[in-house]
Amino acid sequence: MLAWATGCHHSQANAGAGRHLDFNQDVQPILASRCFSCHGPDPEMRKAGLRLDLAEFAMKKRPGHPDAIVPGHPERSELVKRIESKDPHHLMPQNAQGEAKPMKPEEIAILREWIKQGAVYRPHWAFEAPTRPAVPAEPDGWAKNPIDAFILERMKKEGLKPSPEADKATLIRRVTLDLTGLLPTPAEARAFEKDNSPQAYEHLVDGLLARATFGEQRARYWLDYARYADTYGLHYDNSKDIWPYRDYVIRSFNENKPFDQFAMEQIAGDLLPAKNLDPLIGSGYVRLGLSTNEGGTITEELRVNIARERTEAFGATFMGLTVGCAVCHDHKFDPTTQKDFYSLSAFFNNLDEKPFNDDRPVWAPVVRVPKAQNASAYNRVLAQRSELASRQNWMRQHERELVERWLASRQNPPRPVSTDRFAVRLRLDEGSGDVLKNSAPNANPASFRATVLKPEWGETTWLWPDFRMPSSTRVLLDQTGDYERSQAFSSGGWFMMRSAPYFAVEDKAETLISKMDASQHYRGWDLSIRKGIVSVELVNQAPKEDPKWKDPKAKEAKEPFRYPTPQDLTKKDLSANKPPEQQKEEEKKEKKPEKKKDDAKKPEPKDTTREAAIKVSTNDALPVAGQWKHIFFAYDGSGRAAGVRIYIDGKPAPTHVVSDSLGNATIRTNAPMQLGWRYPDENPAKQTRYQDIRLYARAVGAEEAARLPFEDYVAEVTARPSPQWNDDQWHAVSEFYLNSVDSSFRQVSGEIERLDAQLDKLSDGGDLTLVSWEKPSLAYADVLTRGMYTARAERVEANTPHFLPSLPKDEPPNRLALAKWTASPDNPLTARVTVNRIWYELFGTGLVETTDDFGIMGQRPSHPELLDWLAVEFRESGWNIKHMYKLMVMSATYRQSAASTPAQMARDPRNLLLSHGPRFRMDAEMVRDIALQSSGLLVDKIGGPSVKPYQPPNVWEQVSYPTSDTVHYVQEHGDALYRRSMYTYWKRMASPPNMDAFDAPMRDVVCTRRQRTDTPLQALVTMNDVQWVEAARELAQRVIREGGREPEKRIDLMSEILLSRDAPPKMAAVLETSLKQLEEHYARDPKAARALVDVGEKKRDPSIPEPELAAWTMVASEMLNLDETLTK
Amino acid sequence: MKQHPLCTDCEQNSKVMDMPIPDGLKREWATLQTRRRFLGRSGKVLGWAAMASLFGEAALRGDVRPGGPKPAVPGREELKLPHFAPKAKRAIYLFMSGGPPQIDLLDYKPNLTAQFNKDMPDSVRGNQQLTGMTAGQSRFPVAPSHWPFKQYGQTGTWVSDLLPYTARMVDDLTIVKSVNTDAINHEPAIMLMNTGNMNAGKPCLGSWLAYGLGSMNDNLPTFVVLQTKTNPKENNQPVSSRLWSSGFLSSEYAGVGLRSGGDPVLYLTDPDGVDREVRRNMLDAVEQINRQTLEEIGDPETNARIAQYEMAYRMQTSVPELVDMSKEPASTWDLYGPDAKEPGTFAYNCLLARRMAERGVRFTQIYKRGWDVHDNVTGVLPILCQETDRACYALVTDLKRRGLLDDTLVVWAGEFGRTVYSQGGLTPENYGRDHHPRCFTTWMVGGGARPGLTYGETDEYSYNVVRDPVHVRDFNATILHCLGIDHNKFTFKFQGLDQKLTSPVPAYVVNGLLA
Repeated sequence: MLAWATGCHHSQANAGAGRHLDFNQDVQPILASRCFSCHGPDPEMRKAGLRLDLAEFAMKKRPGHPDAIVPGHPERSELVKRIESKDPHHLMPQNAQGEAKPMKPEEIAILREWIKQGAVYRPHWAFEAPTRPAVPAEPDGWAKNPIDAFILERMKKEGLKPSPEADKATLIRRVTLDLTGLLPTPAEARAFEKDNSPQAYEHLVDGLLARATFGEQRARYWLDYARYADTYGLHYDNSKDIWPYRDYVIRSFNENKPFDQFAMEQIAGDLLPAKNLDPLIGSGYVRLGLSTNEGGTITEELRVNIARERTEAFGATFMGLTVGCAVCHDHKFDPTTQKDFYSLSAFFNNLDEKPFNDDRPVWAPVVRVPKAQNASAYNRVLAQRSELASRQNWMRQHERELVERWLASRQNPPRPVSTDRFAVRLRLDEGSGDVLKNSAPNANPASFRATVLKPEWGETTWLWPDFRMPSSTRVLLDQTGDYERSQAFSSGGWFMMRSAPYFAVEDKAETLISKMDASQHYRGWDLSIRKGIVSVELVNQAPKEDPKWKDPKAKEAKEPFRYPTPQDLTKKDLSANKPPEQQKEEEKKEKKPEKKKDDAKKPEPKDTTREAAIKVSTNDALPVAGQWKHIFFAYDGSGRAAGVRIYIDGKPAPTHVVSDSLGNATIRTNAPMQLGWRYPDENPAKQTRYQDIRLYARAVGAEEAARLPFEDYVAEVTARPSPQWNDDQWHAVSEFYLNSVDSSFRQVSGEIERLDAQLDKLSDGGDLTLVSWEKPSLAYADVLTRGMYTARAERVEANTPHFLPSLPKDEPPNRLALAKWTASPDNPLTARVTVNRIWYELFGTGLVETTDDFGIMGQRPSHPELLDWLAVEFRESGWNIKHMYKLMVMSATYRQSAASTPAQMARDPRNLLLSHGPRFRMDAEMVRDIALQSSGLLVDKIGGPSVKPYQPPNVWEQVSYPTSDTVHYVQEHGDALYRRSMYTYWKRMASPPNMDAFDAPMRDVVCTRRQRTDTPLQALVTMNDVQWVEAARELAQRVIREGGREPEKRIDLMSEILLSRDAPPKMAAVLETSLKQLEEHYARDPKAARALVDVGEKKRDPSIPEPELAAWTMVASEMLNLDETLTK
Repeated sequence: MKQHPLCTDCEQNSKVMDMPIPDGLKREWATLQTRRRFLGRSGKVLGWAAMASLFGEAALRGDVRPGGPKPAVPGREELKLPHFAPKAKRAIYLFMSGGPPQIDLLDYKPNLTAQFNKDMPDSVRGNQQLTGMTAGQSRFPVAPSHWPFKQYGQTGTWVSDLLPYTARMVDDLTIVKSVNTDAINHEPAIMLMNTGNMNAGKPCLGSWLAYGLGSMNDNLPTFVVLQTKTNPKENNQPVSSRLWSSGFLSSEYAGVGLRSGGDPVLYLTDPDGVDREVRRNMLDAVEQINRQTLEEIGDPETNARIAQYEMAYRMQTSVPELVDMSKEPASTWDLYGPDAKEPGTFAYNCLLARRMAERGVRFTQIYKRGWDVHDNVTGVLPILCQETDRACYALVTDLKRRGLLDDTLVVWAGEFGRTVYSQGGLTPENYGRDHHPRCFTTWMVGGGARPGLTYGETDEYSYNVVRDPVHVRDFNATILHCLGIDHNKFTFKFQGLDQKLTSPVPAYVVNGLLA
């Protein structure tokens, strides 16, 4: 609303009378701020069943209530009666405590008038696609392009006049700072001053847009919008490898990559066809947010929080909406429902990642960026791979048709596994409660009960929504599985070992299924996993610890991730970063809280039990966490190790015999069979998910074992007609079809694997960066009651908010669809939100001031037609970023002088109508960069790992966890001290203090608008930070060397460097007086002079006398601290 | 979300002073209106805008410089604060980060001795979600406190032998045994305690106070944060600027860190070779040129900049004076003990907090990390208590002696409590305790709090609150009340909502805690 800023037409009580009211501009803001919290979209808060945000509800008859709005008849409308009531109990609006908060007379007048005019509702302005409005006629000849016509029209309406064009020095300084973040050089300023051609300014602008520093400057803003930082931001706040994303952003702006493509790459670069790695690197955007590895964190809570963070970030970055408000309840003002929020979050809920980052910089999925010399070879292979992947994607997109065709053909129908001697089948698909049904035919008993702690249901989905056993849960299967050595039997199922930081891979067996009595020398049998090695044991008796039982072949499981994560991530890549200093043993507490020092002191007496047992183990380690694996074994009753077979995902696994000494001894025990533990409470498989657990009283053969993971179930599903299948069932059938029936898909998979091996090799030695990688499973999420991760109310598929255009048809609902939707011409928000931010960067305030909120509570645009015109221009220009910057800086509006008159200040104190040019204090990075640049210190290298320049001691140490890899700030030297500020290492829990003082955000969350405060802390930085004092000295040296002998000349040069013009006489006079004082002072005190000029790591020029250099250093510091210097 | 606080409010107003724009802008506007008058004055111009921005509004009201011009700005009047006569003008928050074990300190459970190593009944644990650290334990054995408790004072309050000094002041304290929180892990819990919300982006208590009440001095920050040096023997969970962030309020209200090593305020000290005279001359030159700029361009921000440099200059004097303890009398050192002479100790920080209270700092928060005793409680807890117990007593006593305790509220709290059952191995000699959100013990003393009171009660396992529960939001509402603020009325419009420290679920002032 500009109304108030301009003196304004709502100032009288009869404000509304007679004027035609615009719902969006005039009425909705009043209803929203005054009424919606109780009578808006959120049903939970709604009072008296009255809803005023939509016409259909506002006009609806409510039994027992008078009509709220009677169009055309304010006097008969209850709404008007209430807001005008004299009875405090009747008077509206009221606050949450029931106290009346009467509206202002002008607000009442507007609502009255609006109802009188028919109470016409219009959709919220930002949710309708923009159309290009007509450019107003501009007879004055002031306008240089359509922007000015819109601006001038409004200015005139408000009785304002534009200001004259700024002088050339101001103009070149302003536009160079805006487009490159750096100052023009004195030579550039002089050349521009001299160039009297009509195209001088345009040439200047074109030149600036072509500079590499343009991309850096744009990236600097974008990194705020994308929440980029170099650490994870929680708990250890360890470093993360993602700076290649930052360089990707710079590159994208410099290539003038169309914004639609730029957006799509970041949202779903992993799903786009690619000729090089850029789209994939760009997809790191999704993974820029906060993450943790805190020991006590509950996995599901973390998983939900991560998806939520990404959804809120996406909403702020690309939609300009505060969707996060709908986490707990329907949005109070916007039409975003809770269901909308969780549907949107589903897009970000299907990444192939573990929720815990393991406190290491490489949090898979990651990609290794090839070194420059291998890039072209790499890109050729990548393009082939991309081509193959899109063939597979095509098949996935059409999987349902393919499945229907397959079933109709009756070729290779799925065959079930025989139910002969099928003893136990725990599907574990009950979805709630603690009764687990045994669905084997003629099952006895028919059900089991989970005890101690209830199981968790439906957190993720596999064949069906899953079942997780919290570590303290017990599932006792009684005497099922009570077999003798001579009896053949088989057991296993689907398992997903938990991934959580505290349950790091331990060097002991974790029991999956067991009927074994640990208190009776381990008699019985079990299926267990240790560090990825699966073992089957049949035991008569065995010692607790026997060296032989320590599997000599056990080796670390490889990271489970396929491309893009290279298979050969080295141990170093994967190890948690250590703090730079040696950590002490006692500091490791949280890592190993269960370490029992006291127990260790008293070793148990050696167990000398003679061993009589069979033990067979797999040779190759499985991924130990976060992946579904079908693990099954069969035993033939022979009493020999050779009679044991282990199947992983249906395939016989290579095994070796650890023990074969059972002989004829019995393995029967009274201990109950159970999941996840050995009786009574040993070797827990903590936090494991289970599905379709089976026990057969026969040796299941290889041919049947191959059908256990999917085919048996698919046969069951396909026995019914496809319209009866749910999404999970469709997914299971499709996966089976693609991976087992249709050879073409498998063939492509094989080729992709071959290419991946090449990519792996070609990227050897390259830098790693976090990226997104989609799982083949369904993207879904659960609506969570009040946002509680345990309160799952309803499962929803990935979808966009209901009040916005729907997803592109014929696309599976995944991030790629979301990306296309975001960049589609129908999307009403993307173009508006983006041009508005460009405007904000240049003019200091967006046309919509709330750059992050285009919703109902956001500000109305100050120039709605101009915003729409720009949005359409942006879209129709092919989302041309440079075109938009050029358009804005070429406008007469932008070129105006920043000087204001008292009349302008009185009328429009914040210059929202732009009757003079933009002028504001530069952002943190720019302020530091120009100090480095003007002194000649700036190193203009683009990109690379973040650097650690000067920082006061103890900034990190005093807040960090002692074993964090960012507990100690190890300052670098040389060039690292003088890089542009955007390359300074950004630790979230202690951001660079000299930038923090200048309102640089923490980058915890999206920031689309920085604060712009003026505090004494800033003055302290620019006066005293070694970075600045050193820059002042270097600037002093520069003017002494280049400026001649006369002080006036040197001062002029300094002014030219910093302000692009000679020092005006008054300024020069002040500085010269100051210089004299300083020269006298330092001549008297040479020791002080030396102390001052010895600042910093850069060696000073020894040929300049110290007192002279000291005096000039202070003069340079004065200039660097001027309001004019710090302001663009 | 750290964002510009502008304009989340759609109200329509006609006058600048009624516009939904930040106070700072209004002040600048008013300043500009009267700048001729300002600039015409001899001597140093006091920068109203910047002064208000970091140092609150006392100066604007004219009570700092009685001879100065009366400001044309309404200042904080529109907040109508305080809502009622405050009992406390300032507060000192002793934040025990990590979660102190209430059972070993103040929540006396004599019957637990007999329960040693027995399983805690499931009925007590109920459906409480456990952290990832103990969710895998097969047993939850009761670990009674290792230390005896005795009764102290007129009130006969039970206090652990670990806290001999706290024991001396129980008759002054308001001990709350029934505080409870929603979060079970550090990061969300510490955020909830400080900002009323588990997720980042909301202003903390100190920022709310700085915003609402402003400053009482003209040369020190309104809201100061002190970090205590860590002890490597302890489990030091991290803290971050998120905890003293101003969230959606203007960042001028964020906590300013006062440091024990190097510059007390970052970048405070002039570079080597720059003495006060040089600095004065330099600033005079800068100011003269900036005034010229102001005349030419007419940008109110320039005026703010002039003031900002003046204020920086004043801070360069006032902060070193604040941290210079050489003039403290011997009685101070007798009271605080020898630790207080070492910068960065908790005792030193407590003494500093008292000095700031004297100088009108509105809110001081001292972070003491290390309370996260997952194991080796008997080894670590005595160290923690030794570091803090005497200093807490000294601070309270010192404030009392100087007559400051009447209008200073001192709060002692962590982010949650700890479990009665042992984490990891339990032996007669040692045990560990996991995080516990359902009950924990805090205390407060001074302006507004009822002395000699123990409030709330937990069950015999110190696991559930059985009487007078105090949620973290209620606790914060009560603190605001002591400072004269109705937490329901103290709101800031952001993203369309009336945001408050105690949002979003209803919260209540605990009248039972009030004097």
